[in-house]
This record gives sequence, C-alpha cells and structure tokens, in this order.
Amino acid sequence: MTLSIDGLRKRFGEVQALDGVTFRVRPGEVFGFLGANGAGKTTTMRIVLGFLRADEGTVTWMDQPASAFPRRTWGYMPEERGLYLRMPVLEQLVYYASLYGVPRGKARRDALTWLARFRIAEYADRKAETLSKGNQQKVQYIATILHDPDVILMDEPFSGLDPVNVALLKSALFEMRERGKTVIFSTHQLDQAEELCDSVAIIDHGRIVTAGPTREVKRSTGHQVVRVATSTDGDIGWLRSLPHVTVTRPGNDYTEVRVDTGTDPQAVLRAALSHGGDVLRFEVADPSLEEVFVTRVGALDTEEHTLAGVAEGPA
Amino acid sequence: MTSIANIATVARREFEVRARTRSFLLGTLLLVIGVLAIALLPVIVRVIDRQDATKVAVVVTAEDLTSDPVATLTQLLNTPTGTTPDPQAAPDYTVTRLEDVDAGRRQVIDGRYAALFAIDRAADGELSFTLYSNDTTGRSATLAWQAANSIAVADRLDRLGIAPGDQAGLFAPAQFGVAWPDPERTEPIGDTAALVGQDILAFGMTILIFMMIVMYGTWIAMSVVEEKSSRVMEVVLNAATPFQLMAGKVLGVGSVAFAQYAAVVLSGGLALLFQDAIAAAVLGEGGGASLPEGLSLGMLFAFGLYGVFGFLLYACLFAAAGSLVSRQEDVNTAVMPLTLLSGAGYMIALYASMGTFDIRAGWVILLSLVPFLAPFMMLSRIADGTVQPVEVVLSIVLLVAALGAALWVAARIYRAGVLLYGQRPGVRAVWNLMRSGI
Repeated sequence: MTLSIDGLRKRFGEVQALDGVTFRVRPGEVFGFLGANGAGKTTTMRIVLGFLRADEGTVTWMDQPASAFPRRTWGYMPEERGLYLRMPVLEQLVYYASLYGVPRGKARRDALTWLARFRIAEYADRKAETLSKGNQQKVQYIATILHDPDVILMDEPFSGLDPVNVALLKSALFEMRERGKTVIFSTHQLDQAEELCDSVAIIDHGRIVTAGPTREVKRSTGHQVVRVATSTDGDIGWLRSLPHVTVTRPGNDYTEVRVDTGTDPQAVLRAALSHGGDVLRFEVADPSLEEVFVTRVGALDTEEHTLAGVAEGPA
Repeated sequence: MTSIANIATVARREFEVRARTRSFLLGTLLLVIGVLAIALLPVIVRVIDRQDATKVAVVVTAEDLTSDPVATLTQLLNTPTGTTPDPQAAPDYTVTRLEDVDAGRRQVIDGRYAALFAIDRAADGELSFTLYSNDTTGRSATLAWQAANSIAVADRLDRLGIAPGDQAGLFAPAQFGVAWPDPERTEPIGDTAALVGQDILAFGMTILIFMMIVMYGTWIAMSVVEEKSSRVMEVVLNAATPFQLMAGKVLGVGSVAFAQYAAVVLSGGLALLFQDAIAAAVLGEGGGASLPEGLSLGMLFAFGLYGVFGFLLYACLFAAAGSLVSRQEDVNTAVMPLTLLSGAGYMIALYASMGTFDIRAGWVILLSLVPFLAPFMMLSRIADGTVQPVEVVLSIVLLVAALGAALWVAARIYRAGVLLYGQRPGVRAVWNLMRSGI
C-alpha cells in the first residue's frame, strides 16, 4: 500500500541520469526528496508521472502500476512554474481541472474557494501576467491540487518564495497531509525538509544514498551530535584533543561536536567535568539532515546551507 | 472517452483564446474588407468610369463619305473588335460632330474634348485621318487608329461599287474549330474558354490551400513553442497525454483557421457571385447572379477534401516541428523543411498549370499522387480534365494513410520534444527521439 519506486534506470545519451533509484513512500505522509541540482530528482518525478519512460525499473502505487491509475490521481507542480500568461486566472484553473475530468461548475466553485483562502479572490478575472510573482505561485499551487489528487508531487516548491509564502505553503502541505493525501516534494533546502517531512530520500548522481523515516535517516550515519557549553568558553582545546570527537561548529553560546560511531557521548560530559569549570549545557542529539548529507555525499554550499552546485549535470 | 474529452477541452481553449482576441477579430475584418474590395474591383472601376465618358469631336472635310462617321466612330470606339455591344452599358466614348478643325483644336486644348478626329480626302482619293490629341499613345489613340482603318476600308469598298449590305458579308467572322490531334481521343475537346476558366479557378484554390497550410501551420508551431517557453507544457502534461495536447491544438487552431478562412473565402465568393447583381443595384443596369466560369460542385468538393486533409497532414507535422524548439526565434528554422516541401508542391502545380511543365507528363502524374504534394497538384490535374477517377481516389486514400502515419510520427516527436529545452536537435537527434520515444 505504498508508492514503490524500484530500480529505476534512465540514460540520456552519455549521462546515466538514474542508476537504480529505489525508495518507498507511505500513503498519507509528507516525503522529502533531497539532492543537489542534477542529482536526478526531476527525472525520477517525471518517470513516476509517466512523462518519461524508464529504461529499467517499475513504479507502483497501491501494488498496481502507477500508469494504471487515472490522471486525476496525480497532482504535479513542476519546478519551472508555468501559466498561460494572457489567460484569466479563474478561467485557466477551470481549464486545468476540466482536463482531469472535473465538471466546469465544480471546478469554478472550488477554484473560487481556494483563491479566497489565499486572499487573491479579486484576481480571478485578471490575466495571469498582471499578478505578482508570489500570487502567480499561489495560482500554480491551486492548479496542482484543484482536481483533488491523491498523490501530489512538487518539484522545488519553495524555491523563489518569500518567507510569507513559504509559511503559507507549509501550512497548505500540512493540511494536505491531514486530508490523507500523499505529498512528495523535492528540495535542496535541507532545513525545510527536516521541518516538514515524515520521511526523506537523499539522491546523488542518480543513486539513492539513504532513504527512510527522517529520524532513522538522521541516525543512519551512526554519529551523534553533542552540544556543550562550559563556563570556560573560548578554550575548546580540550574538546579538540578528545579521541573520536570532531568539532563541527564552534560557537559563542555552545560548541557542537560530532561523536563517531561506537563512542559514548557521555565521554564528552565526563571530559567537560574533569576539565574544570561548570557545565552550562550538555545535549545529545541526532545529526541534522545537513550533517547526514555532508557525511554521505560531500561538502555543501556553506554560504546558503543548500546543496546548490555540489554536482553538475542535466536535471 | 477521456481522450476525446481532453482533445475537445484542449481544442476548445485554443479556439476561444484565439477567436476572441481583438487582433484576430480586427484582422479578419480587414481581410474580409480587402477581399471584398478586390472582388468588387470591376464594379468599382465601372462606377468611377461611368462619371466621365471620353468626349471626342469629329470634323469631316472629306466629301461624298457615304457612312455616317459619328455613328461609325461611336460604335467602333465603344465596342472594339470581337466584343458584342451591351446595349444597356453606359458608353465609354461620346462622339460629337464639329464643323471647323481650328475651332475643334482649340476646344481640345481647352479640355472640352479629349481628342479631335479629322477626316479629309487626299489628292489620290484615299481618306486621310488626323488625330489631334495630347495623349497619342493611350488606348483611345489605338482605338481611333483601328476605327480609321475600318472607315478607310469601307470607303474603298464604296468606291469599288460594293453595296453596304454586301460589305457586312465580307466582314463576317470565319468558321473556326479545334480538334484533338490524336484520332483515338473521343472525349469532347471542350470550349477553350471554359477550360481556361477552370484552370484559373483550380490554381486559385491551390493558392488558398497553400496559404492556409503555411500560414496556420506556422501559427500552430508558434503556439506549441509558446506553451513550452511559458512552461505551461509540464503543467498540462500531467493532465493530458502529449497526443491529446497535440490533437487538441491542431483541431483548435485548425478551427480558428477554418473560421477565418471561411469568412474570407465566403465573402469573396459571394461578392464574385453577386458581382453583376451588385453592379446592377449600384449602376442601375440589368444582370443577375452567375457562377464563375468553370466552377462546379465536383471542383468544390475536391477543394474541400484536399484542403482539409492536406491541412491536417501538415498541421500535425508543424506541431511536431514546433515541439522541438523552445524559443519563438527558432520556430522558422524548425518549420523550414515543411515550408520547403509545401512550396515545392505549389511551384510544380504553378508551372504545370502555366504550361511550363506538361501537366500530362508521367512524372507530374506520379508526383501528384504523393500525399505531401497531392493537395497542391491534384486540383490543377482535375481542372485539366485528363485525370482518371481512380487516380483521385488513390491520391485521397494515400493522403489519409499518410495522415495516419504523420499523426503517429508527430505524436512521438511531440512526446519527446515537449520536454526538450535549450537544444536544437538535428535530423539524427529527431530520429533517435522517435525511436526511443523517451
């Protein structure tokens, strides 16, 4: 009873875009599909939706081939947003929905409801090109879900959104989950995935590096993270000298270290106590997705804390 | 069922979005006005013409001229050789008799008369004619010269003692006929005028088909590219298959094209049909509606068949060509092979109907059966009258078969092409796309 992606392979000329992509998405969860530009996220989504044919591998939903389900099962928001610029907003929403077989009257009513919810009801009869970019994004989202799909795939839905719209989209995604919809979105912004996703998969150069419930993925490296602060801050030489411990983020209020697999995090606490001074803070946590990613795949763009530019290649 | 519903939905959007734009309505209106103006040009010319009949003066100093020069000139100037006089038409020339050459010349200078025609008798007894006019090279001068010859010949016959009644017999037209050189050929050779009329008509229809294919075909390609460049393509691709999108687009844009074309062709056709009636109403003359020479129901039917199938065949390929590029600037390059192909068919039809190529040559017959060329070449062959019915049927069957194949090929190219961005694929890439289907 899942969306199962099994052993997808796809080659574009010289480039092996997908090389055995396999993961599962449980119904009703929000699933994050993480990877750098060109890692194979868009290609995987296009195969799941049937736009592209895989060279090998299968996609099944509820134990049947994904292609066996009517088109209205699927909702898709492509990375490159597109609207008919010279067509009025409401009219084109009705058009998209009617392609999925939704009667025009119902599509019109639902579209008006959604437009009102996103506070853009007054733009219903305006041409799309007259709307601001943020408002066009809202229309795009309504176009994705207006036909009430069971599975919603979104390619980089947060890219280019301002903070207000990011918050709006997040709440919309949670609402979809509450309605029992399955939401899959790709992103290279790991903090968003960590906040939203029940499960994630990390893809790199056409291969799934790791996949599963977010918590398990975070623990999958075996490393643990310790955040520690003592009254003798500023001197962290003692931390650096500990075996199997790496300082990952020295900071003013606390220092974050990575504790290698097989080492007891409590050793850090004991070292802190024996070093002298008061221990003001001691916290054992799972690594962030970002740390998992760095461990599994490699460096990421530290400026933006995104994966942009890690790998090059066709999307 | 969903497939047909989706094709209809796509076609409906294409039609509505285009047909209601102001530029489309205005463009169609201008086209209709233009066509009406061209079709009614003869009437307009006659209306303008009617106001100023050319005034010609005649002075006869020659004695014992038996015929009345005013009557002869009036008849000869208004009905040049070979035409039958229309008793109700307003005359182009009015002829007035004056007595004095010098006075007449002054009145020509004043502009009261366009020309003065002086008839004198020379010492040897022959008539001599002088035309006093500022315009000595125009049609009036030519007509005056022809009239002079006629009057001179009549005068010579008079002097030879042949009565005016016998003179009419001398000038009666000769008996003239045409026949096939090949005695085996039995089909009626036909009235040359009607055949020429049908040739011109067939060629006009060929031009209409050619223009429709190239104009609206390019339109379809551009609308595909518009969807690609605005990235709407991926949004609708989730809802409908590439085939549905392509078929809907071809039918939708096709209906707009047919609607605009019908408006233009119908208004032009009606104007031609009722040209005489309109002329009668405007000019107060007699005359009713009449079909243009050579137009038959069969020709119209063939025009419809070749027009619709030819358009559909090219249209789906134009859509496929458009799907291969992602910027409007590249559309013309992408559709070039199709433009050239249709241009070739059109040129062969043009040369064949002008007689540069023998329209009955084996290679022309063979080419006219090729589906991509048939829409341009068959109408001329039908008009020529030598085409066998089985050839027409064969060419239609081939055309429909090619349409099926083109739909299949175009759908595969379209399917791969719509997701192709930033590349300009060559022939080999297109071939690979078609084979793999992505």
